[in-house]
Amino acid sequence: MRAVPCLHEYLAKAAGSRAPPQLAKGFAYNLTRHAGLLDGSPAGQREGCEGVEEFKLKFYTNFIKDDRYMYLVKGLGNTLAITFLAVLLGIVLGFLVAIIRSTHDKTGKGKIANMICQVYLTVIRGTPMMVQLMIMCYVVFGNYNISKLIVATLAFGINSGAYVAEIVRSGIMSIDQGQLEAGRSLGFGYAQTMWYIIMPQAFKNVLPALANEFIVLLKETSVCGYIGMMDLTRGGDIIRSRTYEPFMPLIGVALIYLVMVMVLSGLVGKLERRLRTSER
Amino acid sequence: MSDKGEVLFQIRDLCKAFGSNLVLDHISTEIRSGEVVVIVGPSGSGKSTFLRSLNLLEIPTSGTISFEGMNITDKNTDINKYRQKIGMVFQHFNLFPHKTILENLTLAPIKLLKKPMGEAEKEARELLARVGLEEKEKAYPSQLSGGQKQRIAIVRSLAMHPEVMLFDEPTSALDPEMVGEVLNVMTDLARDGMTMVIVTHEMGFAREVGTRILFIDEGVIKEENKPAAFFENPSNPRLKEFLSKII
Repeated sequence: MRAVPCLHEYLAKAAGSRAPPQLAKGFAYNLTRHAGLLDGSPAGQREGCEGVEEFKLKFYTNFIKDDRYMYLVKGLGNTLAITFLAVLLGIVLGFLVAIIRSTHDKTGKGKIANMICQVYLTVIRGTPMMVQLMIMCYVVFGNYNISKLIVATLAFGINSGAYVAEIVRSGIMSIDQGQLEAGRSLGFGYAQTMWYIIMPQAFKNVLPALANEFIVLLKETSVCGYIGMMDLTRGGDIIRSRTYEPFMPLIGVALIYLVMVMVLSGLVGKLERRLRTSER
Repeated sequence: MSDKGEVLFQIRDLCKAFGSNLVLDHISTEIRSGEVVVIVGPSGSGKSTFLRSLNLLEIPTSGTISFEGMNITDKNTDINKYRQKIGMVFQHFNLFPHKTILENLTLAPIKLLKKPMGEAEKEARELLARVGLEEKEKAYPSQLSGGQKQRIAIVRSLAMHPEVMLFDEPTSALDPEMVGEVLNVMTDLARDGMTMVIVTHEMGFAREVGTRILFIDEGVIKEENKPAAFFENPSNPRLKEFLSKII
Protein backbone atom coordinates (compact mmCIF):
# COMPACT_ATOMS: atom_id res chain seq x y z
CA MET A 1 0.00 0.00 0.00
CA ARG A 2 1.21 3.38 -0.97
CA ALA A 3 0.10 5.05 2.22
CA VAL A 4 2.93 3.60 4.17
CA PRO A 5 5.84 5.29 2.37
CA CYS A 6 3.82 8.50 2.27
CA LEU A 7 3.50 8.59 6.01
CA HIS A 8 7.04 7.58 6.67
CA GLU A 9 8.35 10.37 4.53
CA TYR A 10 6.01 12.78 6.16
CA LEU A 11 6.99 11.72 9.62
CA ALA A 12 10.65 12.07 8.81
CA LYS A 13 10.08 15.58 7.52
CA ALA A 14 7.85 16.62 10.36
CA ALA A 15 10.19 15.30 12.98
CA GLY A 16 13.13 17.04 11.36
CA SER A 17 11.60 20.40 10.66
CA ARG A 18 9.01 20.69 13.48
CA ALA A 19 6.90 22.49 10.94
CA PRO A 20 3.56 23.91 12.10
CA PRO A 21 0.77 21.32 11.65
CA GLN A 22 -1.06 23.17 8.89
CA LEU A 23 2.06 23.49 6.82
CA ALA A 24 3.09 19.94 7.36
CA LYS A 25 -0.39 18.78 6.45
CA GLY A 26 -0.25 20.54 3.10
CA PHE A 27 3.13 19.13 2.50
CA ALA A 28 1.89 15.64 3.14
CA TYR A 29 -0.98 16.07 0.71
CA ASN A 30 1.37 17.22 -1.99
CA LEU A 31 3.62 14.33 -1.30
CA THR A 32 0.77 11.90 -1.60
CA ARG A 33 -0.49 13.32 -4.83
CA HIS A 34 2.99 13.35 -6.19
CA ALA A 35 3.61 9.75 -5.36
CA GLY A 36 0.25 8.83 -6.89
CA LEU A 37 1.09 10.55 -10.14
CA LEU A 38 4.42 8.85 -10.40
CA ASP A 39 2.80 5.48 -10.10
CA GLY A 40 0.05 6.44 -12.48
CA SER A 41 -2.62 5.04 -10.22
CA PRO A 42 -6.29 5.95 -10.76
CA ALA A 43 -7.76 9.00 -9.07
CA GLY A 44 -10.09 7.02 -6.80
CA GLN A 45 -7.21 5.25 -5.19
CA ARG A 46 -5.49 8.54 -4.61
CA GLU A 47 -8.59 9.83 -2.85
CA GLY A 48 -8.52 6.75 -0.59
CA CYS A 49 -4.90 7.37 0.15
CA GLU A 50 -5.71 10.92 1.16
CA GLY A 51 -8.36 9.69 3.62
CA VAL A 52 -5.93 7.27 5.14
CA GLU A 53 -3.28 9.96 5.23
CA GLU A 54 -5.57 12.33 7.05
CA PHE A 55 -6.40 9.62 9.56
CA LYS A 56 -2.75 8.91 10.13
CA LEU A 57 -2.04 12.55 10.52
CA LYS A 58 -4.74 12.88 13.15
CA PHE A 59 -3.38 9.80 14.83
CA TYR A 60 0.02 11.35 14.83
CA THR A 61 -1.02 14.72 16.25
CA ASN A 62 -3.20 13.17 18.93
CA PHE A 63 -1.06 10.34 20.12
CA ILE A 64 2.52 10.48 18.84
CA LYS A 65 3.34 14.17 18.81
CA ASP A 66 4.89 15.46 22.05
CA ASP A 67 4.50 11.90 23.44
CA ARG A 68 0.80 12.55 24.00
CA TYR A 69 0.08 8.84 24.26
CA MET A 70 1.74 9.06 27.65
CA TYR A 71 -1.43 10.75 28.94
CA LEU A 72 -3.30 7.60 28.04
CA VAL A 73 -0.61 5.29 29.44
CA LYS A 74 -0.50 7.14 32.74
CA GLY A 75 -4.27 7.38 32.84
CA LEU A 76 -4.64 3.70 32.07
CA GLY A 77 -2.18 2.89 34.85
CA ASN A 78 -4.29 4.84 37.32
CA THR A 79 -7.55 3.33 36.04
CA LEU A 80 -6.15 -0.18 36.42
CA ALA A 81 -4.67 0.56 39.85
CA ILE A 82 -7.93 2.00 41.18
CA THR A 83 -9.98 -0.82 39.70
CA PHE A 84 -7.70 -3.55 41.02
CA LEU A 85 -7.45 -2.14 44.54
CA ALA A 86 -11.16 -1.32 44.65
CA VAL A 87 -12.02 -4.85 43.53
CA LEU A 88 -9.95 -6.27 46.39
CA LEU A 89 -11.56 -3.94 48.91
CA GLY A 90 -14.99 -4.62 47.39
CA ILE A 91 -14.53 -8.39 47.66
CA VAL A 92 -13.41 -8.23 51.28
CA LEU A 93 -16.22 -5.86 52.28
CA GLY A 94 -18.78 -7.63 50.14
CA PHE A 95 -18.07 -11.12 51.48
CA LEU A 96 -18.00 -9.83 55.04
CA VAL A 97 -21.36 -8.10 54.69
CA ALA A 98 -22.84 -11.04 52.79
CA ILE A 99 -21.79 -13.50 55.50
CA ILE A 100 -23.15 -11.27 58.28
CA ARG A 101 -26.44 -10.82 56.42
CA SER A 102 -26.96 -14.44 55.43
CA THR A 103 -26.00 -15.67 58.90
CA HIS A 104 -28.63 -13.34 60.27
CA ASP A 105 -31.16 -14.56 57.69
CA LYS A 106 -30.48 -18.20 58.50
CA THR A 107 -29.95 -18.19 62.24
CA GLY A 108 -31.23 -14.81 63.47
CA LYS A 109 -27.85 -14.05 65.07
CA GLY A 110 -26.05 -10.71 64.85
CA LYS A 111 -28.99 -8.31 64.81
CA ILE A 112 -26.90 -5.17 65.33
CA ALA A 113 -24.23 -6.12 62.79
CA ASN A 114 -27.00 -6.88 60.31
CA MET A 115 -28.55 -3.47 60.91
CA ILE A 116 -25.23 -1.71 60.29
CA CYS A 117 -24.90 -3.66 57.05
CA GLN A 118 -28.43 -2.69 56.02
CA VAL A 119 -27.65 1.00 56.50
CA TYR A 120 -24.42 0.63 54.52
CA LEU A 121 -26.22 -1.08 51.63
CA THR A 122 -29.07 1.42 51.57
CA VAL A 123 -26.83 4.48 51.60
CA ILE A 124 -24.31 3.22 49.08
CA ARG A 125 -26.83 1.82 46.65
CA GLY A 126 -29.12 4.81 47.06
CA THR A 127 -26.67 7.54 46.08
CA PRO A 128 -24.74 8.16 42.86
CA MET A 129 -21.17 6.91 42.65
CA MET A 130 -19.90 10.31 41.60
CA VAL A 131 -21.42 12.02 44.64
CA GLN A 132 -19.86 9.36 46.89
CA LEU A 133 -16.50 9.93 45.27
CA MET A 134 -16.68 13.68 45.78
CA ILE A 135 -17.87 13.30 49.36
CA MET A 136 -14.95 10.95 50.02
CA CYS A 137 -12.52 13.48 48.52
CA TYR A 138 -13.85 16.84 49.69
CA VAL A 139 -15.77 15.98 52.87
CA VAL A 140 -14.21 12.90 54.43
CA PHE A 141 -10.62 13.66 53.43
CA GLY A 142 -11.20 17.34 52.74
CA ASN A 143 -8.75 18.47 55.38
CA TYR A 144 -6.13 15.83 54.81
CA ASN A 145 -3.43 15.83 52.22
CA ILE A 146 -3.85 12.27 51.11
CA SER A 147 -3.10 10.55 47.83
CA LYS A 148 -6.00 10.76 45.39
CA LEU A 149 -5.36 7.17 44.48
CA ILE A 150 -6.21 6.11 48.04
CA VAL A 151 -9.30 8.33 48.09
CA ALA A 152 -10.57 6.89 44.83
CA THR A 153 -9.76 3.31 45.88
CA LEU A 154 -11.71 3.76 49.12
CA ALA A 155 -14.68 5.36 47.39
CA PHE A 156 -14.90 2.75 44.64
CA GLY A 157 -14.12 -0.17 46.95
CA ILE A 158 -16.78 0.81 49.46
CA ASN A 159 -19.24 1.34 46.63
CA SER A 160 -18.43 -1.96 44.98
CA GLY A 161 -18.61 -3.81 48.31
CA ALA A 162 -22.31 -3.03 48.60
CA TYR A 163 -23.09 -4.58 45.23
CA VAL A 164 -20.76 -7.54 45.78
CA ALA A 165 -22.47 -8.14 49.15
CA GLU A 166 -25.90 -8.54 47.62
CA ILE A 167 -24.55 -10.74 44.82
CA VAL A 168 -22.72 -13.02 47.24
CA ARG A 169 -25.64 -13.13 49.65
CA SER A 170 -27.94 -14.30 46.87
CA GLY A 171 -25.34 -16.95 46.06
CA ILE A 172 -25.19 -18.17 49.66
CA MET A 173 -28.97 -18.25 49.96
CA SER A 174 -29.22 -20.22 46.72
CA ILE A 175 -27.30 -23.17 48.19
CA ASP A 176 -29.61 -25.90 49.44
CA GLN A 177 -30.13 -25.94 53.20
CA GLY A 178 -29.20 -29.64 53.09
CA GLN A 179 -25.58 -28.72 52.36
CA LEU A 180 -25.36 -26.80 55.62
CA GLU A 181 -27.02 -29.67 57.48
CA ALA A 182 -24.71 -32.23 55.91
CA GLY A 183 -21.66 -30.20 56.92
CA ARG A 184 -22.93 -29.60 60.43
CA SER A 185 -23.92 -33.23 60.95
CA LEU A 186 -20.37 -34.34 60.07
CA GLY A 187 -19.16 -32.14 62.91
CA PHE A 188 -18.12 -28.98 61.06
CA GLY A 189 -18.87 -25.71 62.82
CA TYR A 190 -20.94 -23.03 61.12
CA ALA A 191 -17.89 -21.08 59.93
CA GLN A 192 -16.11 -24.23 58.71
CA THR A 193 -19.20 -25.37 56.83
CA MET A 194 -19.42 -21.95 55.23
CA TRP A 195 -15.77 -22.00 54.24
CA TYR A 196 -15.38 -25.57 52.99
CA ILE A 197 -18.85 -26.32 51.66
CA ILE A 198 -21.18 -23.36 51.12
CA MET A 199 -18.81 -20.64 49.88
CA PRO A 200 -17.09 -22.59 47.09
CA GLN A 201 -20.48 -23.47 45.63
CA ALA A 202 -21.93 -20.00 46.15
CA PHE A 203 -18.88 -18.40 44.54
CA LYS A 204 -19.23 -20.58 41.48
CA ASN A 205 -22.91 -19.66 41.15
CA VAL A 206 -22.34 -15.92 41.37
CA LEU A 207 -19.16 -15.71 39.32
CA PRO A 208 -20.87 -14.27 36.21
CA ALA A 209 -22.71 -11.63 38.25
CA LEU A 210 -19.52 -10.84 40.15
CA ALA A 211 -17.53 -10.47 36.93
CA ASN A 212 -20.19 -8.16 35.59
CA GLU A 213 -19.93 -6.02 38.72
CA PHE A 214 -16.18 -5.65 38.22
CA ILE A 215 -16.61 -4.73 34.59
CA VAL A 216 -19.06 -2.04 35.66
CA LEU A 217 -16.53 -0.90 38.26
CA LEU A 218 -13.76 -0.64 35.68
CA LYS A 219 -15.92 1.60 33.53
CA GLU A 220 -17.25 3.57 36.46
CA THR A 221 -13.74 4.70 37.46
CA SER A 222 -14.04 7.07 34.49
CA VAL A 223 -15.60 9.64 36.85
CA CYS A 224 -12.27 9.96 38.67
CA GLY A 225 -11.61 13.18 36.77
CA TYR A 226 -14.06 14.90 39.06
CA ILE A 227 -11.62 14.76 41.95
CA GLY A 228 -8.75 15.80 39.72
CA MET A 229 -7.25 12.37 39.16
CA MET A 230 -5.84 11.52 35.83
CA ASP A 231 -7.44 8.26 34.79
CA LEU A 232 -7.79 6.96 31.27
CA THR A 233 -10.82 9.12 30.46
CA ARG A 234 -9.16 12.22 31.85
CA GLY A 235 -6.01 11.41 29.90
CA GLY A 236 -7.99 11.36 26.68
CA ASP A 237 -9.67 14.59 27.64
CA ILE A 238 -6.34 16.33 28.19
CA ILE A 239 -5.28 15.34 24.70
CA ARG A 240 -8.56 16.68 23.33
CA SER A 241 -7.94 20.02 25.05
CA ARG A 242 -4.49 20.21 23.43
CA THR A 243 -5.44 19.26 19.88
CA TYR A 244 -9.00 20.63 19.80
CA GLU A 245 -9.94 17.41 18.16
CA PRO A 246 -12.44 15.10 19.86
CA PHE A 247 -12.57 12.10 17.54
CA MET A 248 -9.19 10.47 18.03
CA PRO A 249 -8.73 10.73 21.80
CA LEU A 250 -12.31 9.83 22.67
CA ILE A 251 -12.59 6.90 20.27
CA GLY A 252 -9.14 5.80 21.35
CA VAL A 253 -10.13 5.85 25.01
CA ALA A 254 -13.38 4.01 24.22
CA LEU A 255 -11.45 1.33 22.34
CA ILE A 256 -9.06 0.81 25.23
CA TYR A 257 -11.97 0.35 27.65
CA LEU A 258 -13.64 -2.00 25.21
CA VAL A 259 -10.55 -4.14 24.80
CA MET A 260 -10.04 -4.35 28.58
CA VAL A 261 -13.65 -5.38 29.11
CA MET A 262 -13.45 -7.99 26.36
CA VAL A 263 -10.25 -9.46 27.78
CA LEU A 264 -11.81 -9.55 31.27
CA SER A 265 -14.98 -11.21 29.97
CA GLY A 266 -12.88 -13.75 28.12
CA LEU A 267 -10.87 -14.61 31.23
CA VAL A 268 -13.99 -14.97 33.35
CA GLY A 269 -15.59 -17.19 30.73
CA LYS A 270 -12.54 -19.43 30.84
CA LEU A 271 -12.56 -19.60 34.63
CA GLU A 272 -16.28 -20.32 34.61
CA ARG A 273 -15.90 -23.19 32.19
CA ARG A 274 -13.10 -24.64 34.29
CA LEU A 275 -15.19 -24.50 37.45
CA ARG A 276 -18.19 -25.99 35.65
CA THR A 277 -16.34 -29.09 34.48
CA SER A 278 -16.59 -30.41 38.01
CA GLU A 279 -20.34 -30.55 37.87
CA ARG A 280 -21.75 -31.71 34.62
CA MET B 1 -36.65 -54.34 73.88
CA SER B 2 -33.01 -55.21 73.64
CA ASP B 3 -31.60 -55.50 77.12
CA LYS B 4 -28.01 -56.13 76.13
CA GLY B 5 -25.71 -53.26 75.40
CA GLU B 6 -25.24 -50.10 77.40
CA VAL B 7 -27.66 -47.21 77.11
CA LEU B 8 -26.46 -44.70 74.49
CA PHE B 9 -29.37 -42.29 74.28
CA GLN B 10 -31.54 -41.43 77.25
CA ILE B 11 -34.41 -39.26 76.04
CA ARG B 12 -36.72 -37.64 78.61
CA ASP B 13 -39.87 -35.63 77.95
CA LEU B 14 -38.59 -34.38 74.63
CA CYS B 15 -40.81 -31.63 73.23
CA LYS B 16 -40.42 -29.64 70.05
CA ALA B 17 -42.74 -26.90 68.92
CA PHE B 18 -42.65 -24.87 65.72
CA GLY B 19 -44.52 -21.76 66.76
CA SER B 20 -47.72 -22.99 68.32
CA ASN B 21 -47.53 -26.33 66.53
CA LEU B 22 -46.38 -29.03 68.96
CA VAL B 23 -44.55 -31.59 66.82
CA LEU B 24 -43.02 -33.73 69.58
CA ASP B 25 -45.06 -34.16 72.73
CA HIS B 26 -43.11 -35.44 75.72
CA ILE B 27 -41.26 -38.29 74.08
CA SER B 28 -39.25 -40.51 76.42
CA THR B 29 -37.27 -43.57 75.41
CA GLU B 30 -33.79 -44.96 75.42
CA ILE B 31 -31.57 -46.40 72.72
CA ARG B 32 -28.97 -49.00 73.57
CA SER B 33 -25.71 -49.83 71.89
CA GLY B 34 -26.16 -52.30 69.03
CA GLU B 35 -29.85 -51.64 68.57
CA VAL B 36 -31.42 -51.03 65.18
CA VAL B 37 -34.39 -48.83 66.01
CA VAL B 38 -36.81 -48.27 63.16
CA ILE B 39 -39.23 -45.37 63.44
CA VAL B 40 -42.42 -45.50 61.39
CA GLY B 41 -45.46 -43.32 61.28
CA PRO B 42 -47.63 -41.22 59.01
CA SER B 43 -46.13 -38.11 57.42
CA GLY B 44 -46.19 -35.08 59.68
CA SER B 45 -46.15 -37.29 62.75
CA GLY B 46 -42.86 -35.88 64.00
CA LYS B 47 -40.67 -38.93 63.31
CA SER B 48 -38.12 -36.98 61.25
CA THR B 49 -38.10 -34.18 63.82
CA PHE B 50 -37.39 -36.75 66.52
CA LEU B 51 -34.50 -38.22 64.53
CA ARG B 52 -33.07 -34.77 63.76
CA SER B 53 -33.28 -33.85 67.45
CA LEU B 54 -30.87 -36.66 68.21
CA ASN B 55 -27.99 -34.77 66.57
CA LEU B 56 -29.45 -31.37 67.36
CA LEU B 57 -30.32 -30.37 63.81
CA GLU B 58 -33.53 -29.50 65.62
CA ILE B 59 -33.04 -27.90 69.03
CA PRO B 60 -35.60 -29.33 71.46
CA THR B 61 -38.05 -26.86 73.01
CA SER B 62 -37.92 -28.72 76.30
CA GLY B 63 -36.82 -32.06 77.70
CA THR B 64 -33.39 -33.63 77.73
CA ILE B 65 -31.36 -35.97 75.57
CA SER B 66 -28.29 -37.55 77.08
CA PHE B 67 -25.71 -39.44 75.10
CA GLU B 68 -23.43 -41.78 77.06
CA GLY B 69 -24.52 -40.03 80.22
CA MET B 70 -23.74 -36.54 78.92
CA ASN B 71 -26.59 -34.09 78.55
CA ILE B 72 -26.27 -32.89 74.96
CA THR B 73 -29.17 -30.45 75.21
CA ASP B 74 -27.12 -28.49 77.71
CA LYS B 75 -25.90 -25.17 76.30
CA ASN B 76 -22.29 -25.86 77.25
CA THR B 77 -22.03 -29.05 75.22
CA ASP B 78 -19.60 -28.90 72.31
CA ILE B 79 -22.16 -29.71 69.62
CA ASN B 80 -19.54 -30.13 66.89
CA LYS B 81 -17.53 -32.65 68.88
CA TYR B 82 -20.73 -34.53 69.71
CA ARG B 83 -21.90 -34.62 66.09
CA GLN B 84 -18.63 -36.24 65.02
CA LYS B 85 -19.81 -39.34 66.86
CA ILE B 86 -23.21 -39.35 65.18
CA GLY B 87 -23.45 -40.20 61.49
CA MET B 88 -26.40 -38.82 59.56
CA VAL B 89 -27.83 -39.89 56.22
CA PHE B 90 -30.41 -37.66 54.55
CA GLN B 91 -33.28 -38.31 52.20
CA HIS B 92 -31.70 -36.09 49.56
CA PHE B 93 -28.13 -37.38 50.04
CA ASN B 94 -26.63 -33.88 50.39
CA LEU B 95 -23.29 -34.88 48.90
CA PHE B 96 -20.97 -31.96 48.23
CA PRO B 97 -21.39 -31.34 44.49
CA HIS B 98 -18.16 -29.35 44.11
CA LYS B 99 -15.99 -32.18 45.41
CA THR B 100 -15.11 -35.57 43.97
CA ILE B 101 -16.40 -38.71 45.64
CA LEU B 102 -13.03 -39.28 47.28
CA GLU B 103 -12.95 -35.68 48.53
CA ASN B 104 -16.49 -36.06 49.87
CA LEU B 105 -15.24 -38.95 51.98
CA THR B 106 -11.96 -37.41 53.12
CA LEU B 107 -13.00 -33.80 53.81
CA ALA B 108 -14.26 -34.33 57.35
CA PRO B 109 -11.59 -36.85 58.48
CA ILE B 110 -8.80 -34.58 57.25
CA LYS B 111 -10.19 -31.30 58.59
CA LEU B 112 -11.84 -32.53 61.78
CA LEU B 113 -9.92 -35.63 62.83
CA LYS B 114 -6.66 -34.16 61.45
CA LYS B 115 -5.85 -37.38 59.62
CA PRO B 116 -2.99 -37.22 57.14
CA MET B 117 -4.24 -37.09 53.56
CA GLY B 118 -2.78 -40.45 52.57
CA GLU B 119 -4.31 -42.28 55.49
CA ALA B 120 -7.72 -40.65 54.95
CA GLU B 121 -7.65 -41.58 51.26
CA LYS B 122 -6.64 -45.14 51.96
CA GLU B 123 -9.49 -45.52 54.39
CA ALA B 124 -11.91 -43.83 51.99
CA ARG B 125 -10.97 -46.30 49.26
CA GLU B 126 -11.62 -49.20 51.61
CA LEU B 127 -15.04 -47.76 52.39
CA LEU B 128 -15.76 -47.27 48.69
CA ALA B 129 -14.81 -50.88 48.03
CA ARG B 130 -17.17 -51.95 50.80
CA VAL B 131 -20.13 -50.43 48.90
CA GLY B 132 -18.78 -51.48 45.49
CA LEU B 133 -18.05 -47.97 44.21
CA GLU B 134 -14.24 -47.96 44.25
CA GLU B 135 -14.07 -47.04 40.57
CA LYS B 136 -16.08 -43.84 41.20
CA GLU B 137 -13.54 -42.11 43.42
CA LYS B 138 -12.72 -39.46 40.82
CA ALA B 139 -16.33 -38.90 39.75
CA TYR B 140 -18.47 -36.00 40.93
CA PRO B 141 -21.81 -36.59 42.68
CA SER B 142 -23.81 -35.39 39.66
CA GLN B 143 -22.39 -38.29 37.65
CA LEU B 144 -23.88 -40.90 39.98
CA SER B 145 -27.32 -42.47 40.21
CA GLY B 146 -29.50 -41.88 43.27
CA GLY B 147 -28.67 -45.25 44.76
CA GLN B 148 -24.95 -44.68 44.26
CA LYS B 149 -25.20 -41.22 45.83
CA GLN B 150 -26.92 -42.62 48.90
CA ARG B 151 -24.31 -45.37 49.28
CA ILE B 152 -21.62 -42.67 49.09
CA ALA B 153 -23.51 -40.60 51.68
CA ILE B 154 -23.51 -43.59 54.02
CA VAL B 155 -19.77 -44.21 53.71
CA ARG B 156 -19.09 -40.48 54.00
CA SER B 157 -20.62 -40.67 57.47
CA LEU B 158 -18.80 -43.91 58.24
CA ALA B 159 -15.48 -42.25 57.45
CA MET B 160 -15.86 -40.36 60.73
CA HIS B 161 -16.19 -43.64 62.67
CA PRO B 162 -19.49 -42.70 64.27
CA GLU B 163 -20.89 -44.60 67.25
CA VAL B 164 -24.44 -44.23 66.00
CA MET B 165 -25.90 -43.83 62.50
CA LEU B 166 -29.09 -41.88 61.91
CA PHE B 167 -31.04 -42.42 58.68
CA ASP B 168 -33.75 -39.95 57.66
CA GLU B 169 -35.87 -41.71 55.01
CA PRO B 170 -32.76 -42.84 53.12
CA THR B 171 -34.67 -44.56 50.31
CA SER B 172 -37.62 -42.20 49.86
CA ALA B 173 -36.02 -40.16 47.08
CA LEU B 174 -34.83 -43.21 45.14
CA ASP B 175 -36.20 -44.99 42.09
CA PRO B 176 -37.71 -48.29 43.25
CA GLU B 177 -35.00 -50.34 41.52
CA MET B 178 -32.29 -48.55 43.53
CA VAL B 179 -33.84 -49.03 46.94
CA GLY B 180 -32.40 -52.52 47.29
CA GLU B 181 -28.75 -51.56 46.90
CA VAL B 182 -29.04 -48.96 49.66
CA LEU B 183 -30.95 -51.28 52.00
CA ASN B 184 -28.29 -53.95 51.45
CA VAL B 185 -25.58 -51.58 52.63
CA MET B 186 -27.67 -50.72 55.68
CA THR B 187 -28.34 -54.40 56.39
CA ASP B 188 -24.59 -55.14 56.27
CA LEU B 189 -23.99 -52.25 58.61
CA ALA B 190 -26.56 -53.58 61.07
CA ARG B 191 -24.99 -57.06 60.91
CA ASP B 192 -21.64 -55.48 61.80
CA GLY B 193 -23.22 -54.29 65.03
CA MET B 194 -23.65 -50.59 64.25
CA THR B 195 -26.22 -48.82 66.40
CA MET B 196 -28.76 -47.39 64.00
CA VAL B 197 -31.87 -45.22 64.20
CA ILE B 198 -33.84 -45.29 60.98
CA VAL B 199 -36.90 -43.39 59.81
CA THR B 200 -38.29 -45.31 56.85
CA HIS B 201 -41.36 -46.52 55.01
CA GLU B 202 -39.70 -49.80 54.04
CA MET B 203 -41.68 -52.17 56.25
CA GLY B 204 -40.01 -55.30 54.91
CA PHE B 205 -36.63 -53.90 55.86
CA ALA B 206 -37.93 -52.78 59.26
CA ARG B 207 -39.17 -56.23 60.02
CA GLU B 208 -36.07 -58.01 58.83
CA VAL B 209 -33.30 -55.78 60.16
CA GLY B 210 -34.88 -53.80 62.98
CA THR B 211 -34.46 -54.92 66.58
CA ARG B 212 -37.19 -52.58 67.78
CA ILE B 213 -39.86 -50.56 66.05
CA LEU B 214 -41.35 -47.26 67.23
CA PHE B 215 -44.67 -46.02 65.92
CA ILE B 216 -44.85 -42.25 66.26
CA ASP B 217 -48.09 -40.40 65.61
CA GLU B 218 -49.09 -36.86 66.59
CA GLY B 219 -45.71 -36.39 68.26
CA VAL B 220 -46.17 -39.31 70.64
CA ILE B 221 -44.71 -42.82 70.63
CA LYS B 222 -47.98 -44.71 70.34
CA GLU B 223 -46.45 -48.17 70.29
CA GLU B 224 -43.03 -49.82 70.42
CA ASN B 225 -42.22 -53.46 70.12
CA LYS B 226 -40.00 -56.10 68.58
CA PRO B 227 -40.64 -56.38 64.83
CA ALA B 228 -42.56 -59.65 64.80
CA ALA B 229 -44.94 -58.58 67.55
CA PHE B 230 -45.17 -55.07 66.14
CA PHE B 231 -46.45 -56.26 62.79
CA GLU B 232 -48.44 -59.28 63.91
CA ASN B 233 -50.13 -58.05 67.07
CA PRO B 234 -50.47 -54.29 66.90
CA SER B 235 -52.53 -53.07 69.84
CA ASN B 236 -52.90 -49.34 69.15
CA PRO B 237 -55.90 -48.66 66.89
CA ARG B 238 -54.05 -45.91 65.05
CA LEU B 239 -51.21 -48.33 64.32
CA LYS B 240 -53.65 -50.99 63.10
CA GLU B 241 -55.13 -48.49 60.69
CA PHE B 242 -51.65 -47.36 59.58
CA LEU B 243 -50.46 -50.92 58.95
CA SER B 244 -53.62 -51.86 57.08
CA LYS B 245 -53.04 -48.94 54.73
CA ILE B 246 -49.44 -49.59 53.89
CA ILE B 247 -49.14 -53.37 53.83
